[in-house]
Amino acid sequence: MYKRISLKILVTFSLVFFSGASITHENMQHNIDKSSGEKCVEPTDVMRAQHHIFLNQQSHDTVVKGIRTKKYSLNNCINCHIKPLADGTYPSVKSEEHFCSGCHIAAAAQVECFDCHASKPFNKVVKKVGVLEK
Amino acid sequence: MKKYELKLNRRNFLKNSAMLGVSTIAPGVFFQELAYGRALDEPASSKIRWGMLINTNQCTDECDACVTACNEEHGIEDFGRPTTDTQWIRKITLTEELSKKSISVPMMCQHCENPPCVDVCPTGASFIRDDGIVLVNKHTCIGCRYCMMSCPYKARSFVHENLENQLPHAPRGKGCVESCNLCVHKIDNGENNTACAEACQKDGHQAILFGDLNDEESDISKQLKKYATKEVRSDLGLNTAVRYRGI
Amino acid sequence: MRDKTEYMVVEFSKAILLYGIVALSLIGLGLFSFITLEHEGHWLTGMNNQVVWGLPHVFAIFLIIAASGILNIASISSVFNIKIYKPLGRLSALLAICLLTGGLIVLVLDLGRPDRLVVAMTTFNFKSIFAWNIFLYSGFMAVIAIYLWMMFEARYNKFVGKVGAFAFAWRVTLTTGTGSIFAFLVAKEAYGALSAPLFIALSLLMGTAIFYKILFWMDRGLGVPLGAEIISRFRKLLIYFIFTVLYITVLAHLTSLYITKNHDFEFFLLFSENIYTFLFWVGQIGLGTIIPLVILYNKKLSKSALGILLASILVILGGFIMLYIIIISGQAYPLDLFPGYNESSTFYDGAISAYTPSIYEVMLGLGGVGISAAIYIFAIMVLDFTPKNLGDEYTLGKEYKEKLIQNED
Repeated sequence: MYKRISLKILVTFSLVFFSGASITHENMQHNIDKSSGEKCVEPTDVMRAQHHIFLNQQSHDTVVKGIRTKKYSLNNCINCHIKPLADGTYPSVKSEEHFCSGCHIAAAAQVECFDCHASKPFNKVVKKVGVLEK
Repeated sequence: MKKYELKLNRRNFLKNSAMLGVSTIAPGVFFQELAYGRALDEPASSKIRWGMLINTNQCTDECDACVTACNEEHGIEDFGRPTTDTQWIRKITLTEELSKKSISVPMMCQHCENPPCVDVCPTGASFIRDDGIVLVNKHTCIGCRYCMMSCPYKARSFVHENLENQLPHAPRGKGCVESCNLCVHKIDNGENNTACAEACQKDGHQAILFGDLNDEESDISKQLKKYATKEVRSDLGLNTAVRYRGI
Repeated sequence: MRDKTEYMVVEFSKAILLYGIVALSLIGLGLFSFITLEHEGHWLTGMNNQVVWGLPHVFAIFLIIAASGILNIASISSVFNIKIYKPLGRLSALLAICLLTGGLIVLVLDLGRPDRLVVAMTTFNFKSIFAWNIFLYSGFMAVIAIYLWMMFEARYNKFVGKVGAFAFAWRVTLTTGTGSIFAFLVAKEAYGALSAPLFIALSLLMGTAIFYKILFWMDRGLGVPLGAEIISRFRKLLIYFIFTVLYITVLAHLTSLYITKNHDFEFFLLFSENIYTFLFWVGQIGLGTIIPLVILYNKKLSKSALGILLASILVILGGFIMLYIIIISGQAYPLDLFPGYNESSTFYDGAISAYTPSIYEVMLGLGGVGISAAIYIFAIMVLDFTPKNLGDEYTLGKEYKEKLIQNED
């Protein structure tokens, strides 16, 4: 009885694990506007594998120590990576068109960031989130 | 006693190095730079303790510029449910029991040196930063509200609603506790003033003065030395960073 | 000493079915409430920025302290070696686990971020009594597990006394820890150091009353005969604990009344026209103390199983109301930020805060009760927790025969 249960658990885990590993970004279409810069702050493969580590470290440094460097800041990510759709509005974080959600929905890995953080660029002129700068 | 001596030494050191800077390189502007103009990659320092002095003589009952400015700065919305809506700063009207004299007082997190909210927080999400600002780390806050139970000033609010369109510099979200953060993003960016103090100055009341309590040369330290001021609930021995005049 | 009681695995029956349906529907209500609150936010509850802990916390603390108190029956048998309680040892430990689990789940599900439970279990601030309580609660589970093992395994029965003593010490610490949550609030007049002993006394009372209810149900539902001797013992325990709780309550209020700055709060709680005054006099004192005492001292009722059941139910109700008063009234009463001034603001400074529990809080709390019940029912159906017979002839042994002889004389 126990053997059977543990086998089931093992199979389930490995299924989840391997299917998770098979999700890559290769065939994903991202709506990135290259006009804001040529490259990300790290090489693409590093960012794919470790962006959450950078962000976690940055969040600790910022909240606890008050360090506000731009390089790994979430706002910096958002400003570059979230670009308006064809109709001129910014994609919602709930849709797959949002840069972060595109992969995270596919990989079924929940992002906690946007429970609190802004998911759209901020228009400094109008002083409103998600309004395009003109 | 020892701690106090250490502080004095550190202060002397600061002063001396500043003097050196002033005499050798540049005029007085440089001194300001040295003391406050923290670089973006430099952590907050315990040499500084940010605080506020509120002069209730200058504050009027009708004015709520500080409250409006705070709400705007941090994107605090009103859901029309006054019991659960967030308030980081509020105006309390005090009426003297004997004389019926009325005073208006802005009240917010008092940024205690020994904050009860930090003591009771099970995960350490409620913490005091090196420069004396009491903050909630919303990455580790589990929303248990024990800090709200323990705060003698009722300074904290719990986010009861789903929030959308938060401002990039003011992350806020449902299920966490929050309170006045002394406009920490402005301090980190070197603005060294709070939205409420700015609004008050703009309105011509000059009732809120923000500054470094550790620096003897700062306006706030000079005023604290000159006038009789009060710490709210001083009987609790919390050593607050927000002080009041005229109560 | 070996435990010679005969135990049984309870088989499926109508009573079990009924009990199970009730438990599962309560869990369903709790889950529904949890999912709704998690999705919509806490504005749906009656809790707000003034009264931050509400009915879920009353339920949670009620279940947690009852868990500690219900283990008292096992303690009496193995630590103080009173034989008549020996057959109840396993049940007592099981019920402690059930109630604690139910209470903790309510506490966790009411968090603003229940998804961060892992954070709470891995990041600790040891200056916080909450952080200590996490260890006290999880440690309590482990201690009871070992305790049960010693009771189940005949070879280890000889260690029951020692493990029981340890469990006894642990549960007193646990209830102290729970009571201390309120003792450490510097600015609130309502709470003092007496809350810890008060919680201990209340836990003993709640545990005894709930245990009696279970015994009564076993007698009627499962067919485990309940002897007059056990009934009379529970009657005495109830009386002792009612008086202990009453004594500490009176002591707490008298001490508080002696301190002038607390007069306003005491007046608010005891003599003004609000819900808490009503709950205190009618609920806690009337329903929870006086009427049960009248029943327990009544010549006829005190000898009937039903009479003691009625007293137990009233005592449970009274204890629940008492916790409600302790937790809510202390928050509803305004903090005095500026002594000597009258205060008013849009944030309810200087005003008595209103609190009306919403249906979601009731459902969440009942969900916890449902979880406790479900674990109990599941456990007695798979392991032999339940003694076959609690009649006098079994529980008393030799003494029973002597009694019979005496009666014949």
